[in-house]
Amino acid sequence: MDLLPALFPPAAPEVAPRVLPSVRAARALYRQATDLQATDLPAPPRPAVPPPIRPENLHPALWLGHQLARHADAAVPTGFEALDAQLPGAGWPRRALTELLLPHPGVGEIRLVAPSLAAAQRAGRLVMLFDPPTTLSAGALAHLGFAVEDLLVINTRNRARIQGAAGTDSLWALEQALKSGHVGAVLAWLPPRLRAERLRRLQLAAQAHDGPAFVLCEMSAAQRPTAAPLRLALRASGADALAVRVLKRRGPMLEAPLQLTLPPVLSAVAQQRAKAGVAPADAAVYAPAKQAASLRAVTLVNLAIG
Amino acid sequence: MLWIAIHLPLLSLESFAATLSLDAAAQPLALIDAQAILAVNAPARALGVKPGFKRATALALAPQLTLGLADLVRDAQALTAVAHAALAFTPMVVIQPDDPPHTVLLEVQASLRYFGGLPALQLRLKDALAPLGHRLHIVSASTPLGAALLAHVQPDLDCADQAATNRALARAPVWLLGPGRAHWEALQGMGLHTIDDLKRVPRDGLARRFGPVVLDELDRATGARPDPREPITLPPTFDSRLELFARADTTEQLMHGAAVLLARLVAWLSAQHAFVRRFTLVMEHEKRSRHDAPGSGITTLEVALAEPSRDSAHLLVLLRERLSQLQLPAPTLDLRLHAEDIARRAAPNTELFPTPAAEHEGLTRLIERLQARLGREQVQRLVPVRDHRPEHATAWRTADAQMRPARPRAMEQATSHEGANAAHLVRPVWLLQKPEPLPERDVAGERGLWCEGQPLLLLSGPERIESGWWDFEAVARDYYIAQLPGGALVWIFRERVPAAGANLSWFLQGRFG
Repeated sequence: MDLLPALFPPAAPEVAPRVLPSVRAARALYRQATDLQATDLPAPPRPAVPPPIRPENLHPALWLGHQLARHADAAVPTGFEALDAQLPGAGWPRRALTELLLPHPGVGEIRLVAPSLAAAQRAGRLVMLFDPPTTLSAGALAHLGFAVEDLLVINTRNRARIQGAAGTDSLWALEQALKSGHVGAVLAWLPPRLRAERLRRLQLAAQAHDGPAFVLCEMSAAQRPTAAPLRLALRASGADALAVRVLKRRGPMLEAPLQLTLPPVLSAVAQQRAKAGVAPADAAVYAPAKQAASLRAVTLVNLAIG
Repeated sequence: MLWIAIHLPLLSLESFAATLSLDAAAQPLALIDAQAILAVNAPARALGVKPGFKRATALALAPQLTLGLADLVRDAQALTAVAHAALAFTPMVVIQPDDPPHTVLLEVQASLRYFGGLPALQLRLKDALAPLGHRLHIVSASTPLGAALLAHVQPDLDCADQAATNRALARAPVWLLGPGRAHWEALQGMGLHTIDDLKRVPRDGLARRFGPVVLDELDRATGARPDPREPITLPPTFDSRLELFARADTTEQLMHGAAVLLARLVAWLSAQHAFVRRFTLVMEHEKRSRHDAPGSGITTLEVALAEPSRDSAHLLVLLRERLSQLQLPAPTLDLRLHAEDIARRAAPNTELFPTPAAEHEGLTRLIERLQARLGREQVQRLVPVRDHRPEHATAWRTADAQMRPARPRAMEQATSHEGANAAHLVRPVWLLQKPEPLPERDVAGERGLWCEGQPLLLLSGPERIESGWWDFEAVARDYYIAQLPGGALVWIFRERVPAAGANLSWFLQGRFG
């Protein structure tokens, strides 16, 4: 019975914790300081209830469903205020594809992207066009503010026709340009019926591309999913007017199409005619006898050769 | 004096592997000489093949073994490339004539301060030699022969001064010295195993028994006798040849050999701090018949660079794209790389942050890459031409890879100038290559123009564009802007003089994009 105490030695007596002298001094100082505060200063006001944590304040990549996303790097202004207001970051995204769907070339797509591309050129950066569907007119591009001679156009259609491998060269070239990260802006007409994973590959390549990257597809591409974070459908909605439907953006759905007024091609008089929907009375072009009398155009006769 | 010896223990095997395609080089390989295996690579060693085996033994162990013969010329070319790469560090580079073989010597005392000390210099040397793909023994010592001898037995050693060199040499086996190998048995019998033992015996007796060569070599290695060396000189043009072990049927199989030659070219360029402007790859093909003329089976591929370069990765990408476009007329047996057009200039500064210069270089490379794959004609530039006919107002030029985006000021001038000129001329962005005839139809008693099944509404015009007799493409047209029902604008014209036999006189010329 006496074994137990031997096995379990009596508990050690309570020893006051040894405190180093320097620590003790520091504690005394602290106590002094807190006493001072308690006596001399009025009681601190009770802290207000902390504001609720809003997810969008936590990180730039977080946003609520009814808000527009914010981008880490500033977007490129589109040059159209109504459009800027509806795009995340108030402009065309950098480091991401912007997919534009067109029923046919010539609805006003060049006039839509021209302000941002011309701005890239003014900043001294290269703008590349890939596979434009038909011939471009240098005069018209200069009129839209482009430095025409500094545009680089990659044309793979002729080659594709010869070799029968349509689209692969064009996508390869586009991917190289996006990956290099040295091109200021890219405008590419993609081959029809492009598979979604091809577009996804381009979107991954675009992450190295510091500038807007527009890819133009046919309207039926709206049926397939897209990796591009921004997708717009363009449609002409009158002379010098463009209806932009936002099909996909980082933000809430937008039901009604945006109506943009493009830089005018028509004169004021012609625009009024377009609104009224009537042909000009004096342009009786089907009556050749009258036509000669009403001709007001400049006749260009260039006699100088070269 | 501080000498670095670079010894390549597997040079013959590695230069043999360079003549194979990349897949074949990763298979078991062995070098054979008169029925005995001389050297094996790692996959072959894993199968149990060892140097010294008979040919039949080796093949029994590894039936898939590829056997090659050592080639002195091939080894010498590979060694020259190593020497060229070393020339970037010091002008005093010597290829050790023989004994020990496969050794390059560098005198680096004067370069130490510039490269920041011996360890930093050795690191940069290893980096410079890495693309050539050799296994290296790098030893530094105070005499050239001492360094060469030690590199033969030690993979990595630094002897700071003469005393350290002598200490290291004293432990080295006596067969390292050339005469020591010849008299190996006699020396063994006398109990002389290391160089230290050799130094202890009386010199006159040693000279009498084994000739003065032993003493001479011993003294040169230990620094007791001067050892003057003649540095190699760089050839003014680069020309390197590689005979392929197997016929290469596709251009993809040529890539490994081409990469080896390009690494040699880069070594030659870095020796003179130069950049290559153009180089030529000559592929010699198998003769189809005995009667072929000697020069007939040769394909020459010339690669010209817009921006002179020494970056082997970039050169390789260009060559790969060009080779993939090429159709070989016959299997290739022999590759030769030739370069003489070089640019000497200061090395570019390395940048931490992106700069306009770096962007320009990147763009040049991008355009070069695109041109290499797509062809020069597909990378184009638009040029406005002063011509009133819309079809002739735009010309296409092949883009120069050196093109750089306009300076902002020059561009503003250009646009203001063009703007003043073109303010009253409205032109569509899209032009049809060939004007498309538009039908006229009667609908509800009214004659109207139709485009793509939709009626057109003329909004403005006419604008008359006429004449062009000087290049036989005279036009006489009245242009109008018309609207499709959806709202898109098109540019149409009416021929004032209809072509004979054609009653359609309206055409679609362009669209306002």
